Amino acid sequence: MGNHQLTSLIKMANQIAANNTHIGDETAEAEMVANHLTKFWARSMKAQIKEYLESDGSELLPIAKKAVASL
Amino acid sequence: MIQIFDPKNVDYDKDYGTPASVSENLVTLEVDGVSITVPEGTSVMRAAAIADINIPKLCASDNLEAFGSCRICAVEIEGRRGTPASCTTPVDAGMKVTTQNPRLGKLRRNIMELYISDHPLDCLTCPANGNCELQDVAGEVGLRDVRYGFSGENHLDAEKDHSNPYFSFDPSKCIVCSRCVRACSEVQGTFALTIDGRGFDSKVSPGQNQDFLDSECVSCGACVQACPTSTLMEKTVIDAGQPEHSVVTTCAYCGVGCQFKAEMKGAEVIRMVPYKGGQANHGHSCVKGRFAFGYATHEDRITKPMVRDSIDQPWQEVSWEEALSFAATKLRGIQKQYGRESIGGITSSRCTNEETYLVQKLIRAAFGNNNTDTCARVCHSPTGYGLKTTLGESAGTQTFDSVMFADAVMVIGANPTDAHPVFGSLLKKRLRQGAKLIVADPRRIDLVKSPHVETQHHLTLRPGSNVAFINAMAHVIMDEGLEDKAFIAERCETEAFTAWRNFISEERHSPENTESVTGIPAAELRGAARIYATAKNAAIYYGLGVTEHSQGSSMVMGIANLALATGNIGREGVGVNPLRGQNNVQGSCDMGSFPHELPGYQHVSDDALRAKFEAVWGVTIDNEPGLRIPNMFDAALDGTYKGMYCQGEDIAQSDPNTNHVQAALRSLECLVVQDIFLNETAKFAHVFLPGSSFLEKDGTFTNAERRINRVRKVMPPLAGLQDWEVTQALSNALGYEMSYNHPSEIMDEIALLTPTFTNVSYERLEELGSIQWPCNDEAPDGTPTMHEESFPIGKGHFAITEYVATEERSSRKYPLLLTTGRILSQYNVGAQTRRTDNQMWHDEDVLELHPQDAEDRGINDGDHVGIASRAGETVMRAKISDRMQPGVVYTTFHHPDSGANVVTTDNSDWATNCPEYKVTAVQAVKVTEPSDWQQRYREFNQKQLGYLQKAQTNEPVVAGK
Repeated sequence: MGNHQLTSLIKMANQIAANNTHIGDETAEAEMVANHLTKFWARSMKAQIKEYLESDGSELLPIAKKAVASL
Repeated sequence: MIQIFDPKNVDYDKDYGTPASVSENLVTLEVDGVSITVPEGTSVMRAAAIADINIPKLCASDNLEAFGSCRICAVEIEGRRGTPASCTTPVDAGMKVTTQNPRLGKLRRNIMELYISDHPLDCLTCPANGNCELQDVAGEVGLRDVRYGFSGENHLDAEKDHSNPYFSFDPSKCIVCSRCVRACSEVQGTFALTIDGRGFDSKVSPGQNQDFLDSECVSCGACVQACPTSTLMEKTVIDAGQPEHSVVTTCAYCGVGCQFKAEMKGAEVIRMVPYKGGQANHGHSCVKGRFAFGYATHEDRITKPMVRDSIDQPWQEVSWEEALSFAATKLRGIQKQYGRESIGGITSSRCTNEETYLVQKLIRAAFGNNNTDTCARVCHSPTGYGLKTTLGESAGTQTFDSVMFADAVMVIGANPTDAHPVFGSLLKKRLRQGAKLIVADPRRIDLVKSPHVETQHHLTLRPGSNVAFINAMAHVIMDEGLEDKAFIAERCETEAFTAWRNFISEERHSPENTESVTGIPAAELRGAARIYATAKNAAIYYGLGVTEHSQGSSMVMGIANLALATGNIGREGVGVNPLRGQNNVQGSCDMGSFPHELPGYQHVSDDALRAKFEAVWGVTIDNEPGLRIPNMFDAALDGTYKGMYCQGEDIAQSDPNTNHVQAALRSLECLVVQDIFLNETAKFAHVFLPGSSFLEKDGTFTNAERRINRVRKVMPPLAGLQDWEVTQALSNALGYEMSYNHPSEIMDEIALLTPTFTNVSYERLEELGSIQWPCNDEAPDGTPTMHEESFPIGKGHFAITEYVATEERSSRKYPLLLTTGRILSQYNVGAQTRRTDNQMWHDEDVLELHPQDAEDRGINDGDHVGIASRAGETVMRAKISDRMQPGVVYTTFHHPDSGANVVTTDNSDWATNCPEYKVTAVQAVKVTEPSDWQQRYREFNQKQLGYLQKAQTNEPVVAGK
C-alpha cells in the first residue's frame, strides 16, 4: 500500500475546507465540509482520512479536522 | 434559421423559398385562386409554397433572406404594374396573385435562356445530375432552345478549385445567384465569400480571389448546401454519384447536437446534410459534423475482440464469447481476491444515453459497487454541482434559439466559434442584429473581433482569477443598485440572499481592489457589469474556461448568483448556459454516471430512491458513493483498485498528468476497453471490445440544451454488435442478466426510474422530433426554458463564493501560465478527426505565445519549444500570436504525441475533482529534440501497434494477405 490516495485526500479535504470558511462559525463550517465528504466521498476514502486523523492528522486544516472527526 | 415552425405543419425536406415570418398578425391572400392565410411579412413565394403552389426559383432558399436577383420567380399581382419577384414581395391582405400564365412563362424561358447560354451542357456527366435546381427549373419553365448559341464570351473554361479536401469549386457551373455568399454571411457569419467584379465579370471569390483553403473559409459547408448547381459540390458525391436514401440522425461531435440527414448509397454514407428540422441547428452545421465522418470506416477501425494477459504481450483476436468470458473471469477473480470495491468503470459522454445507462447499471448491479464515473468529470462536473446548488437542477436553463432574444450576451471561458460552431453562428447572427457582447477570456478569441461583430468589453482575466472576477461583477451590481429587487424578493431564499449580499458588498470584492488579481481594469469591468445588469435580457454562456479550475464549482455558482441577482432566469433570452464539450455530456450526467448519483441525479444514500431502483434491477445497491476517476487512479497506484471497464473514453490522453495516469493504468490487472480504435488507453488494456460509431447504432443523445435527439442506425455495426449489446453481453457473462431487445426498451426503463424523463419514449421522440427534459406529467412536451415559475428547490439559492487562489501559480522556475483549449477542425483527443482530412487544418498541436514572451526566450515562430511544469515536460512547435496576453501561453490536446497533458497537473476543483486544465505554471525554452516523455511514448506506441499487427496477421492465413 502506497499513500497516493492519502496525499490526495488530505489535499482535497483541505481544499474543501478552504472553500467553505466564510461563515465565521467553525461548527457550521465543519458541518458543511462533513456534509460534502458524506455526500461525495467513497467509503474507502472516508475510512482512510479518518484513520489518518486518528493516527496523525497534522496536515489537515482545523476545519477539515473537525469535519473528519464528525464523520 | 431561427424561425420557429410548428413542426406538424412544416415539411423540412421542402424549400419554401424565403424564411418564415414570426408575426402573430395573419393575412389572407389568393394565389392562383387559392385562398391562403399566412403571418404578416411572409413572402408571396412562401405563401404559395405553403399551399403547394411552387413558383420556380433559383436565387431563393428558405434559410436565406430574399435577394431578388434571378427574377425567375416573377409573378403577376392584380392591380400592380409589371411582374414583381415573389420572393421579395410581402403578402398583403386581399392580394390576388397569378403564378403561371403565358406572359410569365415566356419571361421565365427568356431568363433561363440567358443563364444556359453561359452554362456547360454536360448534364449527363455532371455531379449534380439528379439533384440540380438549375436543371429542374429549366424543365419547369420548358426551355427548349438557346437562341444565343454558345460561341460568345463565356465562363466555360473557368479554372476549378479543388483545394478544400471536402468540396470542389467549379466556377464554370456558377450562375452567380449569390446563395453561397449569402449562406456564408447570413447563416455561418464568416463573410469569407464575396462576388468580385461587376456585370459579366461577376464571380464568386473566396477571400480576395484566393483558393478556398487559403481564404478565411471555415469549411462549414453552408455554401455547398446552398448551391443550386454543381458549382460547389462534395467530393464524395463527385466520386460516388447522388445518394439514393437518407436517414435523419444526430451528430456525435460537440454538445450542440446538430441533426443531419445521412445521405446514403446502400450502407455507405455519401454525405451528411444538416437537417432543417433539427431543433438545435435548423439546417446548419460545421466542418466536423458535415464532413469529418470518414473515420467511421477508417482502416484503423478494430472489428474483432482481442485479449491478452499482460500489456507486454501481443494481442490475440478471439470471438465475442471468448473475450467476454475472459473479461468476466478476470474481473470476478479480482473482486474475489481484492474485494468488491476493487473494480469499477467509466461511461462515455460520446455514447448514447441508453449505453451510458447500461454501463452504470452494470457497475452498480453486476460489480455491486458505485465505482462509476464519466468523462464529464473532467469537463462539466462543476456545472452539475454549481447549478444544482443554486438553481436546483444540474443543467443549462435555455434553448439555443433563446439567444435570439438576448440583448446582452456574456461569454465566459468559452470559444463558441471553434468549439460549438453552429451555436457560434447563431450567436453572431444575434450580435449582428445589435445585441451587446462581453467576452471574459485570457485569449483574444475570434468573437472578440470578427466581421460585423465586435465585443463591447473584452475582459482579459488572468487564468485562475475567475471567482475574483465574477465576485467583482456581482459587487458592482449590488454597489450600484442594479439588482432586480422584485425577482430576488419573489424568487430567491431571503436568508441566503442576505448573507450573500453582506459578503459580496465587502469592499475587498470591488473591481478596483481585485484588479491586481484579475488583471481586468476596473473601469472595463464596471462597464461590463452595467451592460449585463441593465440589458432587458442578458444571457451568460460559459465553457470549460469556467469549470476546469480549482474553483470551477464556485465559479459556476458565481455565475448563477449573477443571473439570480439580475433576474435573468426563467424566460427566453436570458439564463445560465453551459456549452457542453461532447455530444452527450448532459446525457451521461443525467444517466447516473457519477458515483454518488443514480440516473436523474438521485443520490445513492437516499433509501427510498435506491429502493425504487432495487425493485426494478433486482439487486441491492450500495448506499455509499463510489470512486471518481482521479480517486480510481490514486487507488490503483495504492493497489486497492485493480480492474476497470472503460467505454469510449481515452483517459490516457485526455486526463491530466499523463505520467500519473499511465502509471495507474499500468498497475491494473484487468483493463477492458471498448472503443472503435486502439486508442491511447487501449494500449494499456487486456481486453479490447470493438465499439460501434454513431452511424452503427440506435439510441439518443442529449445536447447542452437538455434536448434528447434520436440517433439512428444507418449502417450495420462493423464488429457485429452495437455498444449497448456489448455491455449487455458483458453483464450476462458476469452473471447479472440483461435482456433488452432494442434501445427503446432501455429508454422505457430510464423513464420509469427518472422523474424528469417520465414521459420520454421513442414514440414521443418520433412525434415531437426531439424533447427537452424535464418531460413528465407537468410538462408533457418537455421544457424549453427552465425555472419559469419556480426552481426545483423552491427558491433560488445565492451561494457564497469566496475566492481562494489556486496553488498553481507562476514562479521563478515556471513563470508562464499555460491554458489549454480546442480548435475548430479537431475534436477533443482527435481519435475521430485525426482520421479525416481535417488534419489539413491542424496536424499538430502548437504552443501559442505572446511575441514578448517569445522574444525574451529567443523563440521564433515554428521553433521547437520545451514546455516544463512540475508534472512533466513535452515539446511542441511555437506559434507566436498576439491573441495571447504576455505571461499566458496556450495549446490544444488533439494529438497524443504532443503530450499537452504530460504538463498539466493533478490539481482539481475543490467540490468535484474536475481537473484544473486551464492553469499550469510552466517554463518554455527553445530545444532541438523531443522530450524524454515523447521518446518513451514513441517507443511504447510502436511496440503496442506491433502487438496489434501481430493479432491481425495471426488470423487464419489467407493467400496473398
